[in-house]
Amino acid sequence: MKQLIKGNEAIVKSAILAGCRAFYGYPITPASEIAEAAALYLPRAGGVFLQAESEVAAINMLYGAAAAGVRALTASSGPGISLMQEGISYLAGAELPCVIADIMRGGPGLGNIAPEQGDYNQVVKGGGHGNYRTLVLAPDSVQEMADLTRLAFDLADEYRNPVVVLADGYTGQMMEPVEFPAAAMLPRRPAWAVDGTAATRRNLITSIYLEPDQLEAHVRKLETKYRRAEQQAVRFESHRTEDAEIVLVGYGIVARILKAVVEQARAQGLAVGLLRPITLYPFPAAELRRLSRQALAFLVVEMSTGQMVEDVRLALEGRRPVEFYGRCGGNVPSAEEILRWVRERADHYWPAFAPEEMADA
Amino acid sequence: MATTTVEAVPVTMANLKGRVDPDWCPGCGDFGVLAAYQKALVELRIQPHQVVTISGIGCSSNLPGFIHTYGMHTLHGRSLAVATGVKLANHHLHVVVTGGDGDGFGIGGNHFVHTMRRNVDLLYIVMDNQIYGLTTGQTSPTSRVGMKTKSMPFGNIEEPVNPMALALAAGATFVARGISSEQKHLTELLKQGLMHKGFAFVDVFSPCVTYNHDNTYQWFRPRVKKLEDDPGYDPSNWYAAMEKAQMWGEEIPIGRFFQRTGLPSLHGNEPILADDVPLAHRDPRIAPDLARQFVEELM
Repeated sequence: MKQLIKGNEAIVKSAILAGCRAFYGYPITPASEIAEAAALYLPRAGGVFLQAESEVAAINMLYGAAAAGVRALTASSGPGISLMQEGISYLAGAELPCVIADIMRGGPGLGNIAPEQGDYNQVVKGGGHGNYRTLVLAPDSVQEMADLTRLAFDLADEYRNPVVVLADGYTGQMMEPVEFPAAAMLPRRPAWAVDGTAATRRNLITSIYLEPDQLEAHVRKLETKYRRAEQQAVRFESHRTEDAEIVLVGYGIVARILKAVVEQARAQGLAVGLLRPITLYPFPAAELRRLSRQALAFLVVEMSTGQMVEDVRLALEGRRPVEFYGRCGGNVPSAEEILRWVRERADHYWPAFAPEEMADA
Repeated sequence: MATTTVEAVPVTMANLKGRVDPDWCPGCGDFGVLAAYQKALVELRIQPHQVVTISGIGCSSNLPGFIHTYGMHTLHGRSLAVATGVKLANHHLHVVVTGGDGDGFGIGGNHFVHTMRRNVDLLYIVMDNQIYGLTTGQTSPTSRVGMKTKSMPFGNIEEPVNPMALALAAGATFVARGISSEQKHLTELLKQGLMHKGFAFVDVFSPCVTYNHDNTYQWFRPRVKKLEDDPGYDPSNWYAAMEKAQMWGEEIPIGRFFQRTGLPSLHGNEPILADDVPLAHRDPRIAPDLARQFVEELM
């Protein structure tokens, strides 16, 4: 049965169904509803909610919960995520699973509370110190807020690493019908956790390796996990890319606008498709390279001044032109303005390149 | 550094008005705090350019925009840290920090403690409404046990912080409490705080008429009792102050709880400021000999 709820609330409900039993957080617009929903629902599920004195405190409380083997969640927005970066680095270093929801707002600095996608760099590239990555999932609907939250907990356990659900203020605040899984999933208590039993008393949770060789070995071990994730955890959605000569790339709420653009462009006879990365790390680089065999150009749209576009360029390694269109400050690009831009770029590329000529390039 | 002659203007309420009008809800206690702060500056004839008003994040932290002094709107909970930097950079400025209970006692709690311990010479005005207002009504560190909020829908289960006792314990050298509805009394406390040499903390009951239906003007009015009305009260007695700080419920003391004079402030203890020239006004160049020495010196 479908339920009409806010994206932020969907995260909490899905988390509880996925076995999350601890939430620590700090109020911030536009993510506060996640904390409020956790305050309301978690006690009923036998979980704990605590309003921390700061995001700095919250992420460190997650560290404690995760170390004890409890599935734990926090949520915030840009400025709060910045504060958590030190803690995220520690969690990754100590190989602790947790889920962090980032409901992006406008920045930098105080910015505003309108939706933006300006946290891509700090979340996907890791704003904290050291050699680590966070796995990042980007929902484009309330349904995906639920589905990807559940997936996030599984990936966090599988890779023993923090996983971020990266959404924007729109996806957090909007209401859509959501289908939740019928049965709650109960994760097994991990063997490495420090859960206060004789069996786990020798378990050690740490990220300190004073000897250079030890630390290098530890970092290599983390690296191996990330390489594995790059092989196994990539997710994306392809929309009419089979014969696309121009491939639009966008994630989250932007991708929904791009779908409308694809339809309108197709109606005008332009062979346009959409690639929507669902995992921002690991990034669908192989799929982009595969598409570059047929596509003339890649047009990236973000609600930022251009952050994910760098990963598109890195993936394509100069095989095809990559162009960027962005709005920021809380402005959302309209399908009409993107279509105008796509048409303009199409006029530029089609006379210059014929698909036949490019095929073997 | 060029010297500019600033022509003194008469300090009036009108020319202390900020460029924008407050966006607080009608009836918010913060209006009274702003007015009392402006009156204190008028009565002490402190020029706008001699004051910097610094805040963090929260409804009350929007205050620097509503007053014509220097102003800084900084990170949530970090205003006292920023203020410490300002005071050390230019100790001739009157530094006034404004904010709320969440900003000061929650996220900024450790800065609060350490800034008092250091006796940074500033006035810290907390508009204490026992709730998070800007984020629309979650529990704050001063919310009472049992209070129902959006983040404590079944009632707060945590003991609130006692700001007066905390300040006294942390070593604040001026500790006072007012209420926004007692304008004359509050103005007097803020004047004393501005003139105090060292960390002056003034906790002000500033009712939130939108989200806090427990701690209202009506709730406070019969409870608050001015320490100034007791001729036997001695604000230099720390133990007496600590005792008063424990009082809550039927009788809640307001007024100057404690003042200790003669203790050097942070900048007073800073050897490089012994010549009383503000850091910001010094020639930033260093002699070539000294520069070379730095470059060549190895640890």
